[in-house]
Amino acid sequence: MSVTIHIPGPLRDFSQQRGEVQLPGSPATLLEALQLLFAAHPGLRDRILNEDGQLRQHINIFVGNESIRYTGGLATHLPATATISIIPAISGGQ
Amino acid sequence: MIGQVLGHYRIDAKIGEGGMGVVYRARDEFLHRDVALKVLSKGTVPSDSTREYLLHEARSSSALSHPNICTIHEVGELNSELYIVMELVEGKPLSTLLAGEGLPVESVLRYGVQIASALSHSHGRSIIHRDLKSSNIMITSEGLVKVLDFGLAKRSEKDLLEGATQTIGPLDTAQGLTGTLQYMAPEILRGLETDHRIDIWALSVVLYEAACGQLPFKGRTAFEISSSILHDLPPQLPSRVPTGLWAIIQRCLAKEPAHRYQQAGEVQAALETVQSASKASPPASPADLRGPLTTVLRGMRHLTVKNGDVLLLVGTTKGAFLLRSKTSRSSWDVAGPYFHGNAIYALNYDNRQGRHRLWASTHTFWGTFLRSSDDFGKTWTNPQEANVKFPPDCGAALANIWQVSLGREDEPHTLYCGVEPAALFSSPDDGETWSLVRGLFDHPHRPRWLPGNGGLCLHTILLDPIDPKRMYVAISSAGVYRSDDAGQTWQARNSGIRVVHMPEKYPEFGQCVHKIVMHPSKPERLFLQNHWGLYRSDDAAANWQDIANGVPSDFGFTMVMHPHDPDTVFIVPIESDQFRCTPEGRLRVYRTRNAGRSWEPLTRGLPQKGAYETILRDAMTADSLDPAGIYFGTRNGELYGSIDDGKNWKKLLGGLPSIVCVKAVIVGEPHAAAKPRATAGAAAAAHRPKRSTANAKRRPAKRR
Repeated sequence: MSVTIHIPGPLRDFSQQRGEVQLPGSPATLLEALQLLFAAHPGLRDRILNEDGQLRQHINIFVGNESIRYTGGLATHLPATATISIIPAISGGQ
Repeated sequence: MIGQVLGHYRIDAKIGEGGMGVVYRARDEFLHRDVALKVLSKGTVPSDSTREYLLHEARSSSALSHPNICTIHEVGELNSELYIVMELVEGKPLSTLLAGEGLPVESVLRYGVQIASALSHSHGRSIIHRDLKSSNIMITSEGLVKVLDFGLAKRSEKDLLEGATQTIGPLDTAQGLTGTLQYMAPEILRGLETDHRIDIWALSVVLYEAACGQLPFKGRTAFEISSSILHDLPPQLPSRVPTGLWAIIQRCLAKEPAHRYQQAGEVQAALETVQSASKASPPASPADLRGPLTTVLRGMRHLTVKNGDVLLLVGTTKGAFLLRSKTSRSSWDVAGPYFHGNAIYALNYDNRQGRHRLWASTHTFWGTFLRSSDDFGKTWTNPQEANVKFPPDCGAALANIWQVSLGREDEPHTLYCGVEPAALFSSPDDGETWSLVRGLFDHPHRPRWLPGNGGLCLHTILLDPIDPKRMYVAISSAGVYRSDDAGQTWQARNSGIRVVHMPEKYPEFGQCVHKIVMHPSKPERLFLQNHWGLYRSDDAAANWQDIANGVPSDFGFTMVMHPHDPDTVFIVPIESDQFRCTPEGRLRVYRTRNAGRSWEPLTRGLPQKGAYETILRDAMTADSLDPAGIYFGTRNGELYGSIDDGKNWKKLLGGLPSIVCVKAVIVGEPHAAAKPRATAGAAAAAHRPKRSTANAKRRPAKRR
């Protein structure tokens, strides 16, 4: 029973250089998981979500191998054991 | 030769001698500076064609402007002697520092990064060094690398293989074997076609040599050395050399050019990665978790800055660059890119109350953050939380920060920023906290503002220097808004400005204003570059008159006020909104000196053929010296400057990412826009730098 979040390289300045953060407790949704992540690493919040609470445009989050854009967004339900990946979209560079 | 005069150079002392000729320290009697003067010995330049070639190469090398390349000032021929005048570098050749076991790894990486950066710059301009070796890499006492003799060593490989002529020294003399053969790539020895990758090979030989004090390929004769270069693998470096560096060296020493790094920039990046790995910052302690982080930039050469220096802050779509010059503005040190990969739409320098704080708006898909540096870029704040953000009830999210402006001198802690979607933010406490200016955000016009090509952005903020409650903002596409009560309420001020993108040609608002400028000595007068149209207002933006008199196009983005003359304004006309490039491929700055009654083109030193450039709204700037320096950057990454009010221009730097903003500031000088006015004349004088012994040479400022 554990939820792990993979942190991409550019954000590791804000996760104490960790590439992987194991969350305490058992979050039921992705949003709950992110809130646990942000409580431990507050610098990540504004880099992943905008001030309107939306996922930033060029960032994708996957639960397992599924993009959350197709599974309910931030409300995506998490299984008891889950691996969450935060990955910049290929459309991000200009 | 000592004591003789060659052209306008007085030869003072001999400082070196090589196969190519003798190098003297000389005095430039025109420009009053010391230079190095190389007189090429006749034997090294046997034929007229070689001579022409050498002249051509030296001339193209003189276009190189990079902090790690010894600048070539002039190439000439006098009394049938070829001479090259170059920057006088005070330092030691790297070869003399390599005795014994080589240099500490940290130095190898530091020098390697700079050499690779120099090569990357020259290769970008199709100039191959062809004779890179530790004896023509100078190290100054500050640890700065200067690569000498760029492009000077070109000769036909056929000549070389026949041992007939070599610029450095004949192969078959006893000591000749210590020449350049050891740095030659296999393809040269094989007589194959060569390209810039021979420099990447030579760089690696230098790195190897610097790391252990030994050359990778040795032999008693030219044949043995050649054979080793062609067939041997370089001997293993000592274990103190990190595997990352060893891997880079090995890859650059691949016999097949295609198996090497293909670009010097890639070698530079790889060396920087090893550098940062060997100095990784320790993890933050829990106490650091909520405060802003400080990002320390290692592995980058930063500027050394003194009071009175001129700084150019250059923002691009892929990072920021800082350039520094003395008040002479004759040469520039370059540092960067800062914020690798970030789009930098706004930069500023806050020097109120003795501060030296740089501000940068940094934008990636991870968000937009304002970051500051109090040490000219060596360290930057990296806020945990976005410092500028819309309040939760707005339903808006910050897309970018287009402008960072300073408050008036009597509000030394106030800052403003203009953002996309169009809104104004202010900070009363040096950027610690920011709040949305609601008077503008809640304006009844706002729901009907339209985004332009650059989004709906508030890009310009002007403070009236006399009336502390009056300020202006310019928004694309909404127009000019003025507040007379310190931002509580705002009125659209666009009367007389035509729009082309709406059925109504003179609406109250909706204009796509690209830039507005004002001279502090005449704050009731403003100039405006519209999406189409050039305008002036003489009544604080209440009414605008067309002033597009004699310009090839009244479309354009940027507009710059002369620092001392309220009648002089600079623009760069763009052909049209369909073809957003300089008309006819000619890069022309236009200047009015009579407040827009007429405009004249300024072209001297600017390309007049095939120059399809775009200069964006914040990409031109003026310094406050006299005569004024005017600078602009292009979307093609070229940076130009003039130090005589726009009369003559020079390319300062090229090959940058797309330039979005350029700002010139004088270190230590009170900020022009922030100063209150006493009288018109006194205000203009007050914006010039203080005279001091350090810059007493500059000619006295004229009263206008």
